Amino acid sequence: MSLSRYLQAVMVFTMTLPLLLATQAFAKPMVDCFQCHDRAPFQKRVKHEPAAAGECLDCHSPHAARFKGLLMQKVKDLCYSCHPDAAEQHSKGMAHQPVIDGNCLACHDPHSADQDGLLKGLLADVCFGCHTELPKKFKHTHPPYAKGDCTACHRPHQSTNNYLLVKERDALCFSCHKQAEVQKKHPNFPMKLSNCGSCHNPHGSDRPGLIRNVLHPPYADDCSNCHTGKGAPVRMETCLECHPDVSEQMASSHNHLVRYKENGCTACHSPHAGDDKRLLRGKERHVCGTCHESTFEQRDAAKYKHPLKGLVCNDCHAPHGSNHPAMAKGPINDVCNQCHGKHGMFSHPIGNNIYDPRTGQVLTCISCHATKGSDYKDHTRYDGKKDLCVQCHATYR
Amino acid sequence: MKLTSVRSYLTGLLLIMVLVMLPVVAGAQSSWRWMMSLRVEKTGDAMYMPSAVAFDKATSRYYVVDTGRDQLVSFEKDGKVIRGFTANGQLKAPYDMVRLDNGNLWVVEKGRNSLTLIDLAAKKVTTHILKDGDRQIFPDRIALDGDKLLVLDRASGDVLRLAPDLSVEQRFDCPKCIGGLTDFVVDGHSVLALSRRDKKVFRFNQNGTVAKEITLQGGELDFPESLAVGPSGLIYILDRHQSRVLTYTPEGNFKYHFLGPGQAPGQVYFPRELRFDPWGRLCVVDEGNGRVEVYRQ
Repeated sequence: MSLSRYLQAVMVFTMTLPLLLATQAFAKPMVDCFQCHDRAPFQKRVKHEPAAAGECLDCHSPHAARFKGLLMQKVKDLCYSCHPDAAEQHSKGMAHQPVIDGNCLACHDPHSADQDGLLKGLLADVCFGCHTELPKKFKHTHPPYAKGDCTACHRPHQSTNNYLLVKERDALCFSCHKQAEVQKKHPNFPMKLSNCGSCHNPHGSDRPGLIRNVLHPPYADDCSNCHTGKGAPVRMETCLECHPDVSEQMASSHNHLVRYKENGCTACHSPHAGDDKRLLRGKERHVCGTCHESTFEQRDAAKYKHPLKGLVCNDCHAPHGSNHPAMAKGPINDVCNQCHGKHGMFSHPIGNNIYDPRTGQVLTCISCHATKGSDYKDHTRYDGKKDLCVQCHATYR
Repeated sequence: MKLTSVRSYLTGLLLIMVLVMLPVVAGAQSSWRWMMSLRVEKTGDAMYMPSAVAFDKATSRYYVVDTGRDQLVSFEKDGKVIRGFTANGQLKAPYDMVRLDNGNLWVVEKGRNSLTLIDLAAKKVTTHILKDGDRQIFPDRIALDGDKLLVLDRASGDVLRLAPDLSVEQRFDCPKCIGGLTDFVVDGHSVLALSRRDKKVFRFNQNGTVAKEITLQGGELDFPESLAVGPSGLIYILDRHQSRVLTYTPEGNFKYHFLGPGQAPGQVYFPRELRFDPWGRLCVVDEGNGRVEVYRQ
């Protein structure tokens, strides 16, 4: 071969090589997954674009993968790789728990569905699938709730408003209920109509007008029990006259006495009506989360979490005040023993006369365990294999 | 010298330089160094849930309010324990205190909701349930401004300056603050107060007007609990949930943070109060670890 021919051949090869490489890189193997997989679940009314186009390998690895369903990435990462706007939006404000958990498939079918938005079922069925604590109907049910139109009031992914509401609470009520008409139904209301949820349950109730089921006895009896009628605010002292036990709890080094308008009690409690005898202004996640949101976020972010099933904040914490760390209901070990009574029979010695060598404090459950959760098994503060132990037993290093 | 020897020499020199420089580089942002702990070392006698630290420059002493054990513990300037004082077992959940020039003590007792005067010479304890007009005051933090007593009222979220008869003579308030004021310090002729939920610091004039509203920007504050002001005007914020001190310029811009959660010396766990002592040291009341950590620059 002459030199010029040789050079020509080299040039042609050099120019075509990138093209060949690019073709290889972007080419997808022709695989017909439906030789084995049933086609029907992919052919419902609403189809996910990649599935409809037969681009199974956009999400799945055909031979082996680290993630369930032979997925190439975690579900959330996979979804956000094509829906980056959603990723950005979901990071703002408060997010729905499945969104926080990255569990898109809790609500959506990734291939096809009969419902818009690839929902796995009817909207209400999907919502009630997790929200089992909510009755499907009440004696008196709010019409949007009765229709299963949850998104009339709630955003499914995230919101800047509590309870993932589409608008601020009162504004949301007044978007359907004309303010003038509501005013007519509340002729003696002493101030501008607001805070509807203080008396009304937005889902439903056993009482007409969706008045919450449990009434504060003085409210049920006569408004004048608390309100003097001269426009003077009802102060905390009025509440404490009937609740001396709360007054005693408030007399603690840690207490929840806060300024809230003219009466700190109403920061957490409705003075009129509630869904249970505590007359809380909402679920604890929201009432407590108003000030302690980061505590919930910290738990959400932990790899190993203290289970919450059936538990509420005041199973461990004294909500009004206590003389124990973290406003616990009692000495830490006693609080943990409520559920973990047998643990003391085999665990590392704790309690009276056992001291943390680092601080001289009595050794308690929380010396080793993070109460909300941590990144270590059994939500220990450090890796239980060694790091946790050598915090105190330095010679074991 | 052979080439390999030169190479070994240079490598060694580099290693030494790295070892020497590493702590300097790592701590470049914070010049605060742990100095000592105010703690009761005797096994079984450690303080439990201390909530405040006070000082007496004249006698070079620290006083730590040991809420969990209903006592006030005094320490020498070098951290040596002097004694625990219980007012003959009369204190009930003491929370904060100041020491007057005549040696008497004002103590906030949460257990009685009282501002209690302890006359040490007369061995007399007098409780006072305070009133602001017709409403009860729930004392939280206290401080002296000259000979005047300032009290943070938890119920109203206001800082109140008291007259000698303990009536309210001046109010430092922030009506628009969510949840009211959380902590305050006297800084020269001003009262500097922290609003936790708003993540703001207010500088009040003596007549109660706001001289400056400082929004704390950056640093990702979580649960600001207490504040202190350094000699240069730098604002120090104690974040209880992060177990961290964050510093801000007088305009509220984040500078740096230091400390972190844990039990080792120099770490804190659910800290409760931050104060400068008369000797320029920074004191962190470390509630979770039953001690006060003292830092110097």
